[in-house]
Amino acid sequence: MRPISRRRALALGAGSAAVAALAWSGNAKATPKDAAEAIAKFTGDKTAEKGKISIELPEIAENGNTVPLKVSVDAPMQADNYVSDILVIADGNPLPRVVTFRFTPMSGKAVASTRIRLATTENIIAVAKTTGGQVFTGQKLVKVTIGGCGG
Amino acid sequence: MAATPRLKLPSQAKKGDIIEIKTLLPHPMESGQRKGKDGKPIPRKIINKFVCTFNGKPVFTADLEPAVAANPYMEFFAKVEESGTFKFTWTDDDGTVTTAEQKITVT
Amino acid sequence: MRQGGVFAAGAAFLIVAGGFVLVSAAGQRAQAKELAPLDTKGDASVRPWKRYDKWPKRDESKFNTLAKISSPPAPKEPRKLSGPIKGDPANGAKLVANRKRGGSCLACHVMGPAGGANLPGNVGPDLSEIGNAKLTDEFLFNYIYDPRVYNAETVMPPWGSHGLFNDQEINDMVAFLKTLKSPAVFKTALDNPEKRPAPVEKRANLDPMENPGMWTIDKAKELWTKTGSTGKSCASCHSNPAAQFKAWASSMPKWEPRLNKVLGVEEFITRHARATTGANYLMETDDNRVLSVYLHNLAEGQPIKVDVSSAAAKAAYKRGEALANRKLGQLNFACTDCHGKSANHWIRGQWLGALKGQYDHFPTWRTSQLVIWDIRQRFQWCQVNIRADELPPDAKEYGDLELYLAAQNGGLKENVPGIRH
Repeated sequence: MRPISRRRALALGAGSAAVAALAWSGNAKATPKDAAEAIAKFTGDKTAEKGKISIELPEIAENGNTVPLKVSVDAPMQADNYVSDILVIADGNPLPRVVTFRFTPMSGKAVASTRIRLATTENIIAVAKTTGGQVFTGQKLVKVTIGGCGG
Repeated sequence: MAATPRLKLPSQAKKGDIIEIKTLLPHPMESGQRKGKDGKPIPRKIINKFVCTFNGKPVFTADLEPAVAANPYMEFFAKVEESGTFKFTWTDDDGTVTTAEQKITVT
Repeated sequence: MRQGGVFAAGAAFLIVAGGFVLVSAAGQRAQAKELAPLDTKGDASVRPWKRYDKWPKRDESKFNTLAKISSPPAPKEPRKLSGPIKGDPANGAKLVANRKRGGSCLACHVMGPAGGANLPGNVGPDLSEIGNAKLTDEFLFNYIYDPRVYNAETVMPPWGSHGLFNDQEINDMVAFLKTLKSPAVFKTALDNPEKRPAPVEKRANLDPMENPGMWTIDKAKELWTKTGSTGKSCASCHSNPAAQFKAWASSMPKWEPRLNKVLGVEEFITRHARATTGANYLMETDDNRVLSVYLHNLAEGQPIKVDVSSAAAKAAYKRGEALANRKLGQLNFACTDCHGKSANHWIRGQWLGALKGQYDHFPTWRTSQLVIWDIRQRFQWCQVNIRADELPPDAKEYGDLELYLAAQNGGLKENVPGIRH
């Protein structure tokens, strides 16, 4: 049984009133091993190429409840080779997987946006694979800010 | 009692255009991590799948986990070559399916 | 509260007990604009007022609120120490970073390695080299215990004399301060409050795809046509709210002579609905908030302009100004300490804005709470968070404060619903 990790200072500028609204409240977080396993499962242990995948996220998130995320892969979307999936991992969340976007040639672009929950300051890792067998990866650190007045 | 999805996409486009599609479904996305007043975890209940098709063919799909924020928002693109209907489907953990449609005229 | 009927000079309405009956006064005399009917008898929020369940349950009745003065007076002189301080710097390092002790020192100060130099604030000076400053133990102790003995204008809390830390804990913090002899090392540029860029709110708050607060407007339109116990709905008298209320919310709050207090939009909704449709939209209920968002949104883009011309309004403004400057709670903060003296600085990872800019977006959607907050709830939370007891939302002091705040925001355009953390 994983020990409960020391609760990091979450974006609780509103104090403990925010706790009920936040998705995560001091639960055990995923280990780097969990994140690595999820990625290996997705890529089939292929080595990922850095670059080509960009992640747009704020550098500082006011709170972890709703953080805008955009992933883009700079690769053509032709019928014979297109980006088929992008997996997004949050390495400090209780569960590492956040979302998997799946594209078709009809997508036109391998670009997708959503809003995610962050338990703490952590890395967002995106891994993309193409039907042609390539794998790309990128990573970005998001700082979840610390509220001013304390609990 | 399904919530009403919100959609934002053009109703007209030129052949070969890559259009932007924005969708949102009001939904609490109960993650399963929160604890209730009694200290027991509130069970997970999220939208776990989002599918967009055009004239019946898949365009874009997302597999959602509890880390997707409440009122799941999906923004993506679609290349249109002909007129037709976009259909959007959201699937809840409990099996409920919510759908929405919008037509587009492509010239 | 007034009992029974009320005649307002020049008014055409007699408001009777319960506020349900409108009777045109006998005189057809020339009158000023008709006054909106208002229930003047009851309270506009739940009584007894109970603090929100999930807010801290501390009882801070020993300290000032906006309604009463009860904090102990500042000491006249520093305390004399019997000898050099014996403190544990390791414990001191933990205490200065402990957010559960009223914010911790890092909320306002960079302090070398304390707290991992993780997003410290800069309201107060950087203390990373204070160990080189050759300050006496007595000075350091007293500065933490109660800085008012050295600086009457300080915004720093009286950590000792208000019971936030005991003497030994202060000794430990002094011992830690004396170890600080070199500049803080930040892991990223963002951690350094001097280099951190001020946040700019750019979200499209009126886009329902961006702001769930906008969804309340559909709900408000439903409520608008809902008939109450009198058989009337809002629409019965207000068939074209978009035209009629184009600049109403931007003129609120207003001095209301029938209630002898300043009335804000939310309280107006409660009292006016009771006196017309019979609906009881208590302040800080969902229906009240929804209607407040709607009425503010109808004045979208209108410059805020509140009336402070009458003698009564001027007096309310002066009271509001005094209240904005009153030190409250265990942390001993006045509104103007953060939103005046310390504006445009960081408390920990949060930016403090001036009073101007803190009003035009209320009611606002809060992304951390996933609900709408109106201005009165914001006042209440500010108080609880600085360890002061809050007042019920319809407290007259909040009215005075809101009038003062709205006046500071004069000229800014209504932009509701906002979207904020």
